This record gives sequence, structure tokens and C-alpha cells, in this order.
Amino acid sequence: MKSKNPPEEPAHEDNFLESSRRDFLKHSGLLTAIAFTPSPLVKAAQSGLDEKIADLYEKVPVSLEVNGVKHQLSIEPRVTLLDLLREQLELTGTKKGCDHGQCGACTVHVDGHRVNSCLTLGVIVSGKKITTIEGLAKGDQLHPMQEAFIKHDGFQCGYCTPGQIMSAVACIREGHANSEHEIREYMSGNICRCGAYPNIVNAIQEVKEGGQAV
Amino acid sequence: MKQFQYSRPATQQAVIDAINKPGTKIIAGGTNLVDLMKRGVTAPDKLIDINHLPLKNISIGKGGLQIGALALNSVVSEDKLVLQNHPLLSMALKAGASPQLRNMATVGGNILQRTRCAYFYDTTMPCNKREPGSGCGAIGGYNRMHAIFGASDKCIAVHPSDMCVALVALDATVIVQSKKGTRRIPFADFHRLPGEHPDLDNNLAAGELILGVEIPDNNFAKNSYYLKIRDRQSYAFALVSVAAALELDGNTIKNARLAMGGVAHKPWRLVEAEKALVGKTVSAETFNIAAQIAIQGAKTYGGNDFKLKLAPATITEALKHASGLV
Amino acid sequence: MESKIKVKDPELGPSRVDGRLKVTGAAKYSAEYSVKGVTYGVLVGSTIAKGSITSLDTRAAERAPGVLAVITYQNCPEIPGYHTPDQPAKGPLKIFLDNKIYFNGQPIALVVAETFERALYAASLVKAQYSKDGHQTDLKNNLPNGIAKGKDYVRGQEDAYKSAPVKVEQEYLLPTEVHNPMELHAIIARWDADDKLTIWDKTQGVKSTQRNIASAFKIPNDNVQVNAPFVGGAFGAALRTWPHEIAAVAAAKLVKRPVKLLLSRADMFTSVGYRPQTWQKIGIGATTDGKLVGITHEATGQTSVYEDFTEGVVNISQLMYASPNVNTKYKLVSLNVNTPTPMRGPGEATGAWALESALDELSYALNIDPIELRLRNHADTDPLSGKPYSSKFLKEAYQLGADRIGWSERRQQPGTLVKDGWLVGYGMGAGMFGAYRSNATVTARLQVDGTLVLQTAVTDIGPGTGTAMAAIGAEVMGVPVEKVKIFLGDSSLPPSPTQGGSQVTSTVGAAVYDACSELKAKFKALEGGATSNDYVQLLTANKLPQLEVTTVSKSGAEMGNYAAYSWSVHFIQVLVNPVTGVVRVNKAVSVADAGHIVSPKTAASQIKGGAIMGIGMALMEEALIDHRYGRLVNNNFGDYHVPVQADIPQVEALFVNKPDPYLNPMGAKGMGEIATIGVAPAVVNAIYNATGKRIRELPVTPDKLI
Repeated sequence: MKSKNPPEEPAHEDNFLESSRRDFLKHSGLLTAIAFTPSPLVKAAQSGLDEKIADLYEKVPVSLEVNGVKHQLSIEPRVTLLDLLREQLELTGTKKGCDHGQCGACTVHVDGHRVNSCLTLGVIVSGKKITTIEGLAKGDQLHPMQEAFIKHDGFQCGYCTPGQIMSAVACIREGHANSEHEIREYMSGNICRCGAYPNIVNAIQEVKEGGQAV
Repeated sequence: MKQFQYSRPATQQAVIDAINKPGTKIIAGGTNLVDLMKRGVTAPDKLIDINHLPLKNISIGKGGLQIGALALNSVVSEDKLVLQNHPLLSMALKAGASPQLRNMATVGGNILQRTRCAYFYDTTMPCNKREPGSGCGAIGGYNRMHAIFGASDKCIAVHPSDMCVALVALDATVIVQSKKGTRRIPFADFHRLPGEHPDLDNNLAAGELILGVEIPDNNFAKNSYYLKIRDRQSYAFALVSVAAALELDGNTIKNARLAMGGVAHKPWRLVEAEKALVGKTVSAETFNIAAQIAIQGAKTYGGNDFKLKLAPATITEALKHASGLV
Repeated sequence: MESKIKVKDPELGPSRVDGRLKVTGAAKYSAEYSVKGVTYGVLVGSTIAKGSITSLDTRAAERAPGVLAVITYQNCPEIPGYHTPDQPAKGPLKIFLDNKIYFNGQPIALVVAETFERALYAASLVKAQYSKDGHQTDLKNNLPNGIAKGKDYVRGQEDAYKSAPVKVEQEYLLPTEVHNPMELHAIIARWDADDKLTIWDKTQGVKSTQRNIASAFKIPNDNVQVNAPFVGGAFGAALRTWPHEIAAVAAAKLVKRPVKLLLSRADMFTSVGYRPQTWQKIGIGATTDGKLVGITHEATGQTSVYEDFTEGVVNISQLMYASPNVNTKYKLVSLNVNTPTPMRGPGEATGAWALESALDELSYALNIDPIELRLRNHADTDPLSGKPYSSKFLKEAYQLGADRIGWSERRQQPGTLVKDGWLVGYGMGAGMFGAYRSNATVTARLQVDGTLVLQTAVTDIGPGTGTAMAAIGAEVMGVPVEKVKIFLGDSSLPPSPTQGGSQVTSTVGAAVYDACSELKAKFKALEGGATSNDYVQLLTANKLPQLEVTTVSKSGAEMGNYAAYSWSVHFIQVLVNPVTGVVRVNKAVSVADAGHIVSPKTAASQIKGGAIMGIGMALMEEALIDHRYGRLVNNNFGDYHVPVQADIPQVEALFVNKPDPYLNPMGAKGMGEIATIGVAPAVVNAIYNATGKRIRELPVTPDKLI
């Protein structure tokens, strides 16, 4: 019996993108839907020149609401939410610290839940509401967690900070901020190399105890 | 990451039709798959997104508690039914990964997650799991995190899941569907030992979709504990972990379940040690005896020699917690 | 002598001047600038540790969609700085110079494409064939090949400890640690003309980067504009101009478009230095009443084959305690690894790990309290130079920390204090680092809207340099701190030193002090200035939009008469599970004698952060190479563990807070390094106190305690 997991993995990358694109074009259901004959397309793709054709066939439509703003985008399926935010929407508040789900700097809220945007493909969250650090304050009025981070000096270099704050807000919303110990456990997905951990706990406790809406 | 096709078939049937093709992979939470794709460890031609399928429910059925394959790890860990009936599962889930990852990772994906062996992850290193026939980098290399049970000369990797350790202890069943219909796989038989084919992690057949898991009713809720020993207090994989569940009649052990993580290619059920507990009185000595039985037949590879001490110590400690001795 | 800056409660004081930008995501780090037409670079690393490239197949990568160039040694634009006649025999790695491979992961290609995804995929298509030579990556196996660096130090009699009635002779091993700041190193390079360049770069020193890039490409310094207003941590890893920065600038030249190169986390392990693995041996002896007879300290650290990296590992033994006899030796072993670079508390943190462990071992051998042992050997004048100290309040620091941690609860007999089934232990370790002041220039401007603008090129990598500048400026001028605006991290601003070596508050702070004092004097000289401090009113009355001064500030000659150091003492309480070997740091108190504390809130954070890095050093950090392949096996944040929130208790930072009378007008001494120096041994000493197990090879993971 053949196992699905792991499925067939190419032992070597011998199928360069030209050939994979060719295969893709051959197999693409879309292809039949357009009034093109395959051969010129394949040639154009092979020549590696026609980016417009690449766009047409390799990008997929995605609609996202980011910080209340709706975006209709066309992206490669391999684009992560993190790179989409940073490189295409110029929302650079969400940080790349490891790109592999091992540091939490890229934490954003998807439909209100905190996730690592570096392991989230943009296509997967199509149709969902994304909140990044840029969407937390109401105009000039900072979110209570942002205020508390400033007051308690919950950061030094500031690079992990957006992820920490997004995580901290979620930590309270989830009901995981009931003790120092619980906060520490539920904030352990956000690494801070400057070592602002105690100050971050203090900031979260203050917001939690302050009872403000988060 | 290689370019790939993405699709989101509308129905469960359409998903099952779509996945039975070479080069196709299912994506749910993506916490493991996207990571592996970024590193070039795996390079599917096509991803089938199943996040929209109605497989998120947690409910009581005839055979016990049923948890849908797409239920998030975070949701399961906080679910009332889970906390009431199988707190061990909740504890194991909370010991894994980070809150953000648990908000993405699904039950099905957790079961199918691949080893964290460094040689598997580094495509320039030998690894029979990634590239059959290339050798095992971990044998003779860094194998501190590696298996002490059931390994082969082809592979000494371990299954990294915490959740699965609890599920194997709780006699769970994995329910899968393919074009041929549904199939029930006892959890202990779901994952494989590496043997000659470490490239195969489990016994899921091509074209099969995990629908969920079922945990039969038991009387372990009062006396269970998950203990994970790791190099830092959170957000790290286990050196060893132990799921311990006891059914007590006063001070007497009526029934016991024990399983370990971080010690084998699959979540490792300790049946002989369980037998040694049943009928005995709760005591440190009882637990020590069971722990020593548990590690019989263990084989180490240099870097993980310490597990011969750490594994029984963790078993004893977990049993003490489960029984209320600590 | 008093500080000329008011003493404030260390727990209070102003918040960070850049806090709002950091908590809203508006602070922009080097990879985050929107530069028109930008392209994306991804590095390809070698897969062997020593040898040469025999063939390099880049065709597939070049043909991949969106790829603009694949830069290798075969087509890299000439970097003129690599070919000047004065090239030293050894030096920084010259990227893409030839086909030689010195370490595993050495960049062999830079793929530039229209998008990050395309560059990353194309990078996987670059295929190299190598001719492999036998590599050496194992320090332990190569210790006999150590080559002495610098002169051996001898004070009094060599190896005098051997004749002492009570002695300890032990070896200590520190593994390689990697800085791993949260921000990945990144650069955006844009050529504005054939000889003119703008870069947005992760660097601790915009001026040094400007010089290095200019000299590599043989263009005038002023033609290189370096921007680094925000740096996401560095800890030493951005002190140098690294090969990838040169490569990005060269690539931008080749593709005639701006290039953004963001290193991967794996690249961070092989491209921007690390704290080198170091073997040490200490012999220390004392009289039965605990007076030191002698210290012998030997150390051997690793470096690359192409460049020597030395650090003051053994220096701390020469001057920390009043020992009549001290001798030290320092050696290097060249291995097929990339070059190390200073990491927080360079040298001293490594040396203190051995010295403070050995002193602890000696205290048990003598059955004397570890603090008491240190007090009995306290140096009242600098043992190294014989000079008086500019200031030293180490004894006060011992007392403050011991009181706060509850040192009186400690048992002298290890393994005897148990709480809820956990073994409890107390440990301490001390640290020191030279206190410096160099030169800096600051422009201070008071505008008619009441804003005090302070400008200098220095970077703020996290310690709160801008915040300290604002505090000093506000104090001197007598304006509210909210009215101070700081501009820094820009090579076009007046020169400042590189952020590093715990000298920036002293140097730049003094320059702010001097500039503001001069500005104040300029206001005094205005019509009506003698009677009023209302600058806005004075400017308006004199019909001036602003007053500005640019002041060059230098250390006074009198510093030559003193030995100047910052001092720290770290106290740790651990809980150790006797069954599983799990260690929990339950309390941590760090005390700094860092002179007057200029910016209390950020200073406390810096001390806490340094302690946390030291806890990581003690308990979990270790970069591992599989010596069969000469390749790292844990070059990621999942396998190279740094502390997470759950590992860290409420760390307390205490300050003696007494000004140094000579170093600078504020009386401030540095604290970035001493925050970490001495922490790791404090943890290990606490573990010994809890368990009776002495660990001499870091990190102390659970397997070492069962």
C-alpha cells in the first residue's frame, strides 16, 4: 500500500520552474477556459520572459481585510501572509524574526485569533479579517496594551514588540492572563532577545487588572 | 519554496477525489508543511486546502469523545468536554508549541507532523526519511533528541507530537476516509516504526483523509498527568515526555495507561509498565518498578544515553503527579 | 563630587523617546524602507567546510522567472577594496573573490530577483560541485594546536596557586553562542550615481559602515549615505561591516537597481559572528583564611582560518581581585568556521564564567561564604595598573544584592535546602568592564516652538541611547523631556562612536551635556539672556527662529590618572528538580555600579536584559556543529534555544547609583556589558548550591543534572 504521508517528493529539484510551469499549464483547468492555444503560452513561459503570463497562471486572487481596509490582490500561492503584509501592502510593523514559526515576531490576528503570519499562506486566509500592529490604535489613541508597554518599558530594540503586543492582547482576550505564571506560559511564543520579559508581564498584568476593553 | 497550484475543493468528496494524486498534499494549519516547504524538505506540486471542511466539531458520540480533524489544538485544549473527560489530552496539547501555533495547528495535522530531526530538515545532510538510501545523519551524529525505542539502522528519529502521546495512552482511534469508504485505525497502529522504510511515518494510505479521532470513555479524568521535560520551560520539543493516567480505587491502581514522547518514531505506549501498575498500591516504589520495566529494551546512540535515566525518572514523576503523591 | 545631573528614582523616569513608534509598528528597521524598484537578494551557502568550488551551475537559477542575476565569484563586479596592494595576510572574508571555501555556509552565490519568493526559489536551484579538503571544526580536538596570541601575563610568581594550602584547579568549557538579535541582518543598497550610494543597513555604527563601504568601493566617504535610525538588537553582531553588506552593494551595481538583502535566521549563524567556543583552565589558591595566593588562567578560543579574532578572556583574572600572583595565557585555534565577533561582554563574560566558578569552588573548599571570600580579596586599587579607581562601589553592590535576594537563607552545605520537593540553591557572580569615554560631536538646537533638537550619528540598538540623550539635554537646558527631539542613526549627522563597548552613554551623553551647556551659554549672551531661561521668549525677543551649536566633546586628560571600570554583581536563586534535573531560575537580582544612572527606566531594562542573556548562556545556549560535516545542526530558533518568557522570573535591577567623579559630567559609567558578565557563573553556582553538582561545561541542561 502506498502511503499518502509522506507523498512522493522529488529527490532532486530537476524540474526547474520552466518545466513545472509547462506541466502546470498543461494540467491547468483554467487553460481550457481561455481562448488560447497551449503552445504559444508554453513557449512564452519557457522563454522566461513573459511575466504577465506568469502572473495570469501562477497567481491567484485573494481578498483580505487588513485593519479594516479591504484589499483585492493577486498573489502567488506560496506568498506568506507575513511577506504579503510587509512587501506588498507595506505594513512593515509585522516583523520577520525567523520565518519558521519559532519566534513570534510575526504574530497577527486572523479573525481575532493570534497566529504566526510567517507560516500562514496568504491564499489560506483569503476572506478573513487581519489585524496587525498598525491596526491596534484608534487614530492617535493608543491601545491600552501599547500604553502599558511604553509605561513598563516592555521592549528595548523594539523589533519583537509588535508581535509581543499582538500576542499580549490575545492573551488577555483568551483569558490566559490570570496570573504571572499563566502570562509567562501564554507569552512564551514570543521571543525577546533584549530580555524585556519581566516588563512585558508587568504591562500585561496592568492592562488585565485595569479591566479596560482590549 | 517551489511554486505550486492551490485549490480549495468545495466538498469533502471533492477533496478525497483531489488528494489521490502524486505530488499533492493537504494543507490545514500549515504549521509544519509550510515550514518544510520553505526549507525545501518537501516540494508539492499542488496543495489542497481543507480548512473549510466541516471537521471541527468536538462532541460525545456512541464510541466516546469525537474530535474533528480540523479542530484547532488551542480549541481542543480548552474544550469543556475534553477538560471534563480527558484532561490528559488538554495538558499534552498545552505542553506543545506556542499559543500562536496551537491557534493554527489542527488535530489531523498534529497527528501527521513530521520529525524535527536536524538531519531531516537540512537538505544537504544524509537522511533516509527525506531521501531514502542517503543514510542516517543522526546515527553517529547529534542524537540527543533521538529515539531509544524501536529505531532501526536506517532511522532513529522521533515523532515530535505531545498530543499523540496522550491520544495513544487514551486508546484513541483515528477515523479516515477514502474513496473506498471510512476506516478506523487504532491510534497505536497509526504511526509506524522506521524499519527499512523511514520515509513512511504512518499507515495512512494514499488518498485517505483523516476525519477525526475518537476517544473511548474511561475513568482516568481524576488521575492523569502529562509531564514534558525539555531544554527550556516552554516552546521546545521534548527530551522525553510522559502521559500517565490512573484509575484508582482508594490507594489501589485499578487501571493504568502510560505512554512516552520523544523516545520513538511513534508515540510510545508502555504496555508492560501499565501491567506492572495494575493491582498495586500507589507508592513511589510501585512507580519506580514500573518505570524500570518501561525502559527495558531501550537502546541509545551516545547523545541520548541520558534518556535511560531521564525516561524512568520522568515516568515516576508523572505517576506521582497523576496519583496525587506530589 | 556630585553628578551634574539630578538623581532620580531608578524605577521612575521618562519612558523611551521612540516608544510610541515602536509600539505602533511605525519604527522602520533596515529592510522596511520603501525603495522604488527594489529587488530581493537571497544568499546561497556552501555545503562543505573546506575546499574549493570546482563547478558552479547557475543556469537553472538564472532562467527561473523573475531572476535578474546570480552573482558568484565568476561574475561579481570588482570590489576595488579587495585588491589594494596593502592586503593583510589574514582579514575579513572577501565575498565572491574566488572559489575557495573556508567554512560551511560560506556564501557562494547571491540570487537577485523581482520578488523574495522568486529569489528564494531560484537560490535552491544553484548547484555547486566541490573539491573537498579535510576540515577541522572541533575545538576540543584541536586544543594542542592553539597558538599564543599576545604576551603571556605574569604578576608576581607564575603558578603560585600550586603552593597554596587550599587550591582549585579546573577546566571550564563555553560553547559557541550566537547573538541572534530578533531583527535579521538586512541591507537595502541603492546606487544614486556611479560613485554615490545610499544604504539602509543594520549596523551599530553608521560612520564605520560608511568608511568600510566607501573603502571597499573606493568612493569618498561622504558619497555613502548610511541610514540606521532603528536597529532591532545586535549585541555586537552589527559592529562590523560584513561580507553580505558588500555583496548587496555589489549586486545593486550589477543589476542597476536597489537590492534588499535580508539574511535568513540560518544565515545569522554563519554570517555575522558569534561568541566563540572557549576552553579555559583556572588554578586558584588561597591561604586557609581565604586570602588569594595566586591565580593562573589559561584560555583557548576558536577563530576562523582566514582571520584572527581575539578577546580579553583572561583579562578579568588580572584585575578582578587583589591577588599578589597572577599569570595568564591566551591562545587561538584556527578552524573551518566563520570568524567570531564581540558578543555582549566580549571576553570578560567568557572569562568571568571560569573565574567566578573557580572562586565559588574555592569558597566551598575553604568553607567560606562566597561573598565573604570576595570581600577578603577586594582590590582597593587597580591590581593591573596600580592606579586608583575613578570610582568603585562593588562592596555596596554585594550588600544590596545579598539583601534583596535573601542571601541569609542560603545554606553553605549544598543540597540541603528543599522546598516542595525542589532543591533550592543560591549563587552569585561578579563582573567588570572598562569604563570609557571617547569623542563625539552633537548638534543642539533650540527652536522657537520650544523644541530642543539633539543630533548625532550614533545608533540606538535598544539600550535607550536616545532616551538618555533626551534626559541629559532636558536636564541641562531645563526643558521638559517631552520637548526634546532626537535624531540619530544617520551618517550625515555629526560623528559619534559606534554603539558598543559600553561607552555610548558616557561619550554621547557627555557630548549632549557639553553641547547643551554651550547652547545655554549662547542664550545667556543674548539680549536679556542673563536674566531669563525662557528660551522661546528670548528667541522671539531677539527675532531668531532658533539657536544652534555643534560641539566636539572629548574626554579630559585627568582620566589617565585613574583606572575606570563598571562593576556588577549578580545573584540567582534556582529551584532544581532532583528527579528530572529541570532547573528553574526563581529569583534574579543584578546590581550595577555604573555610576550615576542617567535614564533610570531604560537602564533597569538593560540590566534585566543582560541578566536574561546570561541565564540563557548558563542554561540553554549552544551552537552545535556536526564535525563529520563541519556543519551546524541547530541553526534555527527551534533548536538553538534562547530563553522564553516561561524561563524568566521577575528580574530585579539595582543600582548603587553613585557618580563617577572623573569620567564625564554626568558621572555615568557603562552598563551594557556588565549586565551579562558574571551572570552565567551565578546560575551555575546556584545550581551547585542546590545540588552539590558542579557543572563545568555550559549549558546546564537537565541531562547534566540527573
